[in-house]
Amino acid sequence: MNLFAADARAFLAAARKELRQQRRYPTLFLGLFFWPVLLPASWVLMGHAYSGNDPQALAAFAERAGSTNVAVFVFVGYAMYMWLSSLLWGAGTALRQEQLRGSLEAVFVTPASRLVPLFGPGVAVLLPMGIIFLVIFATLWLFFGVVPPLGAIAQSAVVVALGIPSLYAIGALFAASVLRFGEVGPIVQLIRGMFVLACGITFPVAMLPVWAQVWAWLMPPTYIVDDMRRVLLRGASLGDVAPDIAIVLALAGVTALVAVAVFRYLETSARRSGMLGRF
Amino acid sequence: MGEIRAALAIARKDIRSFSRYRVAVVSTVFTPLYQFVVPAFLFGAAFAVNGRAAGLAATLGTDDLPGFIFLGGLIGGLISIAFWGIAFSLRTEMDTGTLEPSWLTPTHHETFVIGRALGSLFWFALSQVALFGLGVWLLGLHLRLEMLLALPAVLCAIFAMVGIAYLLAAVVLLIKEANFFVDTMQFVVGMLSGTAFPVTLLPGVVQPLAFALPTTYAVDILRAQALGARPLFDPVLEYAVLIGLSLVSYPLGRWAFARAEETMRRRGMLAQY
Repeated sequence: MNLFAADARAFLAAARKELRQQRRYPTLFLGLFFWPVLLPASWVLMGHAYSGNDPQALAAFAERAGSTNVAVFVFVGYAMYMWLSSLLWGAGTALRQEQLRGSLEAVFVTPASRLVPLFGPGVAVLLPMGIIFLVIFATLWLFFGVVPPLGAIAQSAVVVALGIPSLYAIGALFAASVLRFGEVGPIVQLIRGMFVLACGITFPVAMLPVWAQVWAWLMPPTYIVDDMRRVLLRGASLGDVAPDIAIVLALAGVTALVAVAVFRYLETSARRSGMLGRF
Repeated sequence: MGEIRAALAIARKDIRSFSRYRVAVVSTVFTPLYQFVVPAFLFGAAFAVNGRAAGLAATLGTDDLPGFIFLGGLIGGLISIAFWGIAFSLRTEMDTGTLEPSWLTPTHHETFVIGRALGSLFWFALSQVALFGLGVWLLGLHLRLEMLLALPAVLCAIFAMVGIAYLLAAVVLLIKEANFFVDTMQFVVGMLSGTAFPVTLLPGVVQPLAFALPTTYAVDILRAQALGARPLFDPVLEYAVLIGLSLVSYPLGRWAFARAEETMRRRGMLAQY
């Protein structure tokens, strides 16, 4: 077996291990049926309170958000929020969890490529992510009576699929970076907070000051959320959002390279300082 | 007197141990800021017409968007400390194995809850001062003298939340997976209390639940007296119901806590989790 095939097998084994661990804790899946329903629903009700069904207020929102459909706007934003949450708490903390359990050193002495423990856990996010998107569309249909055209749903699924590499890379970069910090929880909150404020999760990016908008458009989730809303709410086609998708894929490549560089740097530093077993 | 000293000592211990985690202290301000305050403000501002929250005025009778958000957040913070700061912290003691030795001391077990409540209220007060300061500085929050008129409602809500915290502590001590329960229930109680939107917008079937919570009346009185918002009912009636529910929730919580403790003693559950 050549080296690449051996690493591919190790990658699949790492992914299988993560999925098996998820299966062992079924209560963790309860949240996937609670939060994607009630969290965005509460923001839709906030939207009703803020609009007061006043046509002028709704028109003002449409001017800034591109649509008067508050429910779809919020639910799409929260799909990204839940995705980011699963990513940061799951794959983003995977290396740290291995470190806490004392198995990171053991993984590093195997002949498998270092890229396997860095990118393998990301596969485990795909299952909760799929469930979240299904629950969100079901909620929109059952509780808000919103059924986007089938073509728009299919095109938004393509936008999501093409966005996976960039989110995957963000998870890997975060996983590598947090090895430096003792407490992961507050760092997850901080980074997730940054995404929530910058990526137009619950409010239009146009509401941010100009300097913050510049930062927002450097983050892949901003493009993915905006493109999904354009496809679902404004009837845009994949061709219309193609330039954005190209930017997202380019950002994915850059982020993955940075993640590998950070990971290599930390590994070299760990060899010298013996920090892998410390936390 | 001895119990008061013990409660103060527990509060001091909690304050001291939490202050050791600087990032966690900062996140008591940052987390509500990014999770609720700033997104809610920018979301609300997206509906503004010529800089005025006309839609909110139509719904609630006030166009003071920052006031609406911050006062809801105040009661939301109180709910959060009842769930996480008081009830769940007993669970943390259980997990770390220190609950048994603590309960072997001659201090009443109910006093531990009071001590934790005092410690949590200290951090709550500090974080609210920081949040309101940021609100005035960055989001145009106007503090008015008449806001003090709502202080009795806040005190009643604190008293009621201690009662509810006893009730929650009883549940948390008895179930094994407390994290999901606390997380989801805190959210549900916050939303049912109208911290983020008026309870009249809730589906009709869940409105009776909202009206059974003391925090619903605390939020409403607070917004009516501080912002001039349209109250749900006559404020005198709301005060009467709030006081009544507070007086019921406290003994009910104490009773549930005592029952949970008795069950744990009988089943030997104190060291199990």
